Amino acid sequence: MRAAIERDARLESLQEIRDFIEEAGLRAGVDPSARFDLKLAVDEACANIIVHGYEPGKPGPIGVSFESDGRRVVLTITDRARPFDPKDAPVPDLDVDWRERRPGGLGWYLIRQVMDSVEYDSDPERGNRLTLVKTGAFPGGGGTC
Amino acid sequence: MEITTERRGHVTVISIVGSVDGLTAASLVGSFRKEVESGNIRIVGNFAGVDYTSSAGLRALLETVKETRQRGGDLRLAAVQRDVLRVLELSGFTHILKLFPDTESAAASFPVPGPSAS
Repeated sequence: MRAAIERDARLESLQEIRDFIEEAGLRAGVDPSARFDLKLAVDEACANIIVHGYEPGKPGPIGVSFESDGRRVVLTITDRARPFDPKDAPVPDLDVDWRERRPGGLGWYLIRQVMDSVEYDSDPERGNRLTLVKTGAFPGGGGTC
Repeated sequence: MEITTERRGHVTVISIVGSVDGLTAASLVGSFRKEVESGNIRIVGNFAGVDYTSSAGLRALLETVKETRQRGGDLRLAAVQRDVLRVLELSGFTHILKLFPDTESAAASFPVPGPSAS
Protein backbone atom coordinates (compact mmCIF):
# COMPACT_ATOMS: atom_id res chain seq x y z
CA MET A 1 0.00 0.00 0.00
CA ARG A 2 1.05 3.60 -0.51
CA ALA A 3 -0.13 6.82 1.13
CA ALA A 4 1.19 10.35 1.03
CA ILE A 5 0.56 13.80 2.45
CA GLU A 6 2.03 17.24 2.03
CA ARG A 7 2.05 19.92 4.71
CA ASP A 8 3.58 23.32 5.33
CA ALA A 9 6.89 23.15 7.16
CA ARG A 10 5.54 24.41 10.48
CA LEU A 11 5.97 22.85 13.92
CA GLU A 12 2.16 22.74 14.11
CA SER A 13 2.24 20.15 11.29
CA LEU A 14 4.25 17.59 13.28
CA GLN A 15 1.27 16.06 15.10
CA GLU A 16 -0.65 15.73 11.84
CA ILE A 17 2.31 14.05 10.16
CA ARG A 18 2.65 11.58 13.07
CA ASP A 19 -1.09 10.88 12.90
CA PHE A 20 -0.72 10.16 9.17
CA ILE A 21 2.09 7.65 9.87
CA GLU A 22 0.08 6.00 12.66
CA GLU A 23 -2.95 5.57 10.41
CA ALA A 24 -0.93 4.31 7.43
CA GLY A 25 0.99 1.93 9.70
CA LEU A 26 -2.24 0.56 11.14
CA ARG A 27 -3.67 -0.01 7.65
CA ALA A 28 -0.46 -1.75 6.55
CA GLY A 29 -0.46 -4.02 9.63
CA VAL A 30 2.73 -2.61 11.16
CA ASP A 31 3.14 -3.65 14.79
CA PRO A 32 2.69 -0.99 17.52
CA SER A 33 6.33 -0.57 18.58
CA ALA A 34 7.45 -0.27 14.95
CA ARG A 35 4.71 2.34 14.35
CA PHE A 36 6.22 4.34 17.21
CA ASP A 37 9.66 4.08 15.59
CA LEU A 38 8.32 5.25 12.22
CA LYS A 39 6.61 8.23 13.85
CA LEU A 40 9.77 9.13 15.76
CA ALA A 41 11.95 8.96 12.63
CA VAL A 42 9.58 11.05 10.51
CA ASP A 43 9.01 13.56 13.30
CA GLU A 44 12.75 14.08 13.83
CA ALA A 45 13.44 14.45 10.11
CA CYS A 46 10.55 16.90 9.60
CA ALA A 47 11.45 18.93 12.71
CA ASN A 48 14.98 19.35 11.33
CA ILE A 49 13.61 20.60 8.00
CA ILE A 50 11.23 22.98 9.77
CA VAL A 51 13.75 24.39 12.25
CA HIS A 52 17.01 24.26 10.28
CA GLY A 53 16.02 23.84 6.62
CA TYR A 54 13.65 26.58 5.58
CA GLU A 55 14.34 30.24 6.27
CA PRO A 56 12.57 31.47 9.42
CA GLY A 57 9.09 32.73 8.56
CA LYS A 58 9.19 31.19 5.07
CA PRO A 59 7.92 27.63 5.49
CA GLY A 60 7.81 25.66 2.26
CA PRO A 61 6.31 22.24 1.65
CA ILE A 62 7.18 18.92 3.30
CA GLY A 63 6.00 15.76 1.57
CA VAL A 64 5.82 12.44 3.42
CA SER A 65 5.04 9.15 1.73
CA PHE A 66 4.53 5.73 3.28
CA GLU A 67 5.01 2.57 1.24
CA SER A 68 4.74 -1.01 2.42
CA ASP A 69 4.90 -4.32 0.64
CA GLY A 70 4.09 -6.26 3.80
CA ARG A 71 7.76 -6.98 4.49
CA ARG A 72 9.30 -3.58 4.90
CA VAL A 73 8.23 0.04 5.18
CA VAL A 74 9.78 2.77 3.06
CA LEU A 75 9.24 6.36 4.16
CA THR A 76 10.18 9.19 1.83
CA ILE A 77 10.41 12.78 3.00
CA THR A 78 10.78 15.52 0.41
CA ASP A 79 11.36 19.23 0.82
CA ARG A 80 12.75 22.26 -0.95
CA ALA A 81 14.69 23.67 1.97
CA ARG A 82 18.43 24.18 2.25
CA PRO A 83 20.09 20.80 1.58
CA PHE A 84 21.49 18.92 4.54
CA ASP A 85 23.13 15.54 4.15
CA PRO A 86 22.59 13.49 7.34
CA LYS A 87 26.12 12.15 6.89
CA ASP A 88 27.21 15.60 8.11
CA ALA A 89 25.21 15.35 11.35
CA PRO A 90 27.41 15.26 14.44
CA VAL A 91 27.29 12.01 16.41
CA PRO A 92 26.42 12.62 20.06
CA ASP A 93 28.62 11.11 22.76
CA LEU A 94 26.22 9.15 24.95
CA ASP A 95 28.83 7.96 27.42
CA VAL A 96 29.77 11.28 28.96
CA ASP A 97 28.64 12.54 32.35
CA TRP A 98 25.44 14.64 32.53
CA ARG A 99 27.56 17.77 33.00
CA GLU A 100 29.22 17.13 29.64
CA ARG A 101 26.12 16.14 27.68
CA ARG A 102 25.26 18.75 25.06
CA PRO A 103 21.64 19.50 24.19
CA GLY A 104 20.61 18.58 20.68
CA GLY A 105 22.30 16.39 18.09
CA LEU A 106 20.07 13.48 19.02
CA GLY A 107 17.55 13.70 16.17
CA TRP A 108 19.62 12.03 13.48
CA TYR A 109 21.06 9.61 16.01
CA LEU A 110 17.55 8.43 16.94
CA ILE A 111 16.55 8.13 13.28
CA ARG A 112 19.52 5.84 12.65
CA GLN A 113 18.73 3.78 15.74
CA VAL A 114 15.12 3.05 14.80
CA MET A 115 15.45 2.70 11.01
CA ASP A 116 17.47 0.14 9.04
CA SER A 117 18.63 2.43 6.29
CA VAL A 118 18.89 6.18 5.79
CA GLU A 119 19.53 7.55 2.30
CA TYR A 120 19.62 11.13 1.17
CA ASP A 121 19.89 12.89 -2.13
CA SER A 122 19.51 16.47 -3.20
CA ASP A 123 18.85 17.91 -6.61
CA PRO A 124 18.50 21.62 -7.45
CA GLU A 125 15.44 20.92 -9.62
CA ARG A 126 13.68 18.20 -7.64
CA GLY A 127 14.69 19.29 -4.13
CA ASN A 128 15.79 17.10 -1.22
CA ARG A 129 14.72 13.53 -0.65
CA LEU A 130 15.29 11.42 2.45
CA THR A 131 14.48 7.73 2.20
CA LEU A 132 14.09 5.74 5.41
CA VAL A 133 13.60 1.97 5.41
CA LYS A 134 12.47 -0.28 8.23
CA THR A 135 12.36 -4.04 8.00
CA GLY A 136 10.92 -6.36 10.62
CA ALA A 137 8.07 -3.94 11.22
CA PHE A 138 5.34 -6.55 11.15
CA PRO A 139 4.07 -9.01 13.76
CA GLY A 140 6.36 -12.01 13.79
CA GLY A 141 9.10 -9.92 12.22
CA GLY A 142 8.05 -10.66 8.65
CA GLY A 143 5.21 -9.94 6.27
CA THR A 144 1.47 -9.81 6.87
CA CYS A 145 0.50 -12.19 4.10
CA MET B 1 -0.28 18.81 25.67
CA GLU B 2 -1.43 19.71 29.20
CA ILE B 3 0.89 20.54 32.06
CA THR B 4 -0.14 20.83 35.71
CA THR B 5 2.15 21.82 38.55
CA GLU B 6 1.56 20.80 42.14
CA ARG B 7 3.56 21.37 45.32
CA ARG B 8 3.95 18.33 47.55
CA GLY B 9 5.90 19.49 50.59
CA HIS B 10 9.45 20.24 49.46
CA VAL B 11 8.91 18.64 46.04
CA THR B 12 7.22 20.02 42.91
CA VAL B 13 5.35 17.51 40.76
CA ILE B 14 4.91 18.53 37.12
CA SER B 15 2.43 16.27 35.36
CA ILE B 16 2.42 16.18 31.58
CA VAL B 17 -0.33 14.73 29.42
CA GLY B 18 0.09 14.35 25.66
CA SER B 19 2.95 14.31 23.17
CA VAL B 20 6.23 16.18 23.56
CA ASP B 21 7.57 17.30 20.18
CA GLY B 22 9.26 20.27 18.53
CA LEU B 23 6.15 22.38 19.05
CA THR B 24 5.04 21.40 22.55
CA ALA B 25 8.49 21.05 24.16
CA ALA B 26 8.60 24.84 24.52
CA SER B 27 5.72 24.69 27.05
CA LEU B 28 7.53 22.00 28.98
CA VAL B 29 10.75 24.01 29.08
CA GLY B 30 8.75 27.03 30.25
CA SER B 31 7.12 25.09 33.09
CA PHE B 32 10.42 23.62 34.25
CA ARG B 33 12.22 26.98 34.07
CA LYS B 34 9.48 28.73 36.02
CA GLU B 35 9.90 26.31 38.91
CA VAL B 36 13.69 26.40 38.91
CA GLU B 37 13.74 30.21 38.80
CA SER B 38 11.33 30.23 41.77
CA GLY B 39 13.82 28.13 43.71
CA ASN B 40 11.84 24.89 43.38
CA ILE B 41 14.74 22.67 42.42
CA ARG B 42 13.38 19.29 43.55
CA ILE B 43 11.14 18.36 40.64
CA VAL B 44 9.30 15.18 39.73
CA GLY B 45 8.22 14.91 36.10
CA ASN B 46 5.10 12.76 36.10
CA PHE B 47 5.21 11.09 32.67
CA ALA B 48 2.24 8.74 33.20
CA GLY B 49 0.30 10.64 30.53
CA VAL B 50 3.12 11.13 28.02
CA ASP B 51 2.64 8.86 25.01
CA TYR B 52 5.39 10.31 22.85
CA THR B 53 8.59 12.29 23.02
CA SER B 54 11.07 13.32 20.37
CA SER B 55 14.58 14.67 20.93
CA ALA B 56 12.94 18.04 21.63
CA GLY B 57 11.62 16.58 24.89
CA LEU B 58 15.04 15.16 25.72
CA ARG B 59 16.54 18.61 25.28
CA ALA B 60 14.04 20.01 27.82
CA LEU B 61 14.87 17.23 30.28
CA LEU B 62 18.63 17.68 29.92
CA GLU B 63 18.43 21.43 30.43
CA THR B 64 16.34 20.96 33.57
CA VAL B 65 18.53 18.19 35.00
CA LYS B 66 21.55 20.47 34.65
CA GLU B 67 19.79 23.53 36.09
CA THR B 68 18.42 21.69 39.12
CA ARG B 69 21.55 19.67 39.93
CA GLN B 70 23.79 22.71 39.69
CA ARG B 71 21.58 24.24 42.41
CA GLY B 72 21.63 21.13 44.60
CA GLY B 73 18.31 19.69 43.43
CA ASP B 74 17.27 17.24 40.72
CA LEU B 75 14.68 16.37 38.10
CA ARG B 76 13.39 12.81 38.50
CA LEU B 77 10.88 11.06 36.29
CA ALA B 78 7.94 8.95 37.33
CA ALA B 79 5.75 6.44 35.49
CA VAL B 80 7.54 6.66 32.13
CA GLN B 81 5.57 4.68 29.54
CA ARG B 82 7.15 1.96 27.40
CA ASP B 83 7.61 3.87 24.12
CA VAL B 84 8.97 6.96 25.85
CA LEU B 85 11.29 4.77 27.92
CA ARG B 86 12.67 3.36 24.67
CA VAL B 87 13.58 6.89 23.49
CA LEU B 88 15.27 7.57 26.84
CA GLU B 89 17.21 4.30 26.59
CA LEU B 90 18.29 4.81 22.97
CA SER B 91 19.64 8.26 23.77
CA GLY B 92 21.46 7.23 26.94
CA PHE B 93 19.14 9.26 29.18
CA THR B 94 18.38 6.33 31.47
CA HIS B 95 21.98 6.73 32.70
CA ILE B 96 21.45 10.43 33.36
CA LEU B 97 17.96 10.54 34.87
CA LYS B 98 16.63 8.75 37.93
CA LEU B 99 13.40 6.95 37.06
CA PHE B 100 10.68 5.78 39.46
CA PRO B 101 7.56 3.68 38.95
CA ASP B 102 5.21 6.38 40.33
CA THR B 103 5.15 9.97 41.58
CA GLU B 104 4.93 8.89 45.23
CA SER B 105 8.20 6.98 45.16
CA ALA B 106 9.87 9.70 43.05
CA ALA B 107 8.79 12.41 45.51
CA ALA B 108 9.84 10.30 48.51
CA SER B 109 13.32 9.83 47.00
CA PHE B 110 14.16 13.47 47.74
CA PRO B 111 15.53 13.85 51.27
CA VAL B 112 13.58 16.23 53.49
CA PRO B 113 15.69 19.37 54.00
CA GLY B 114 16.81 19.69 57.60
CA PRO B 115 16.09 22.78 59.76
CA SER B 116 19.68 23.96 59.29
CA ALA B 117 18.94 24.46 55.59
CA SER B 118 16.90 27.59 56.28
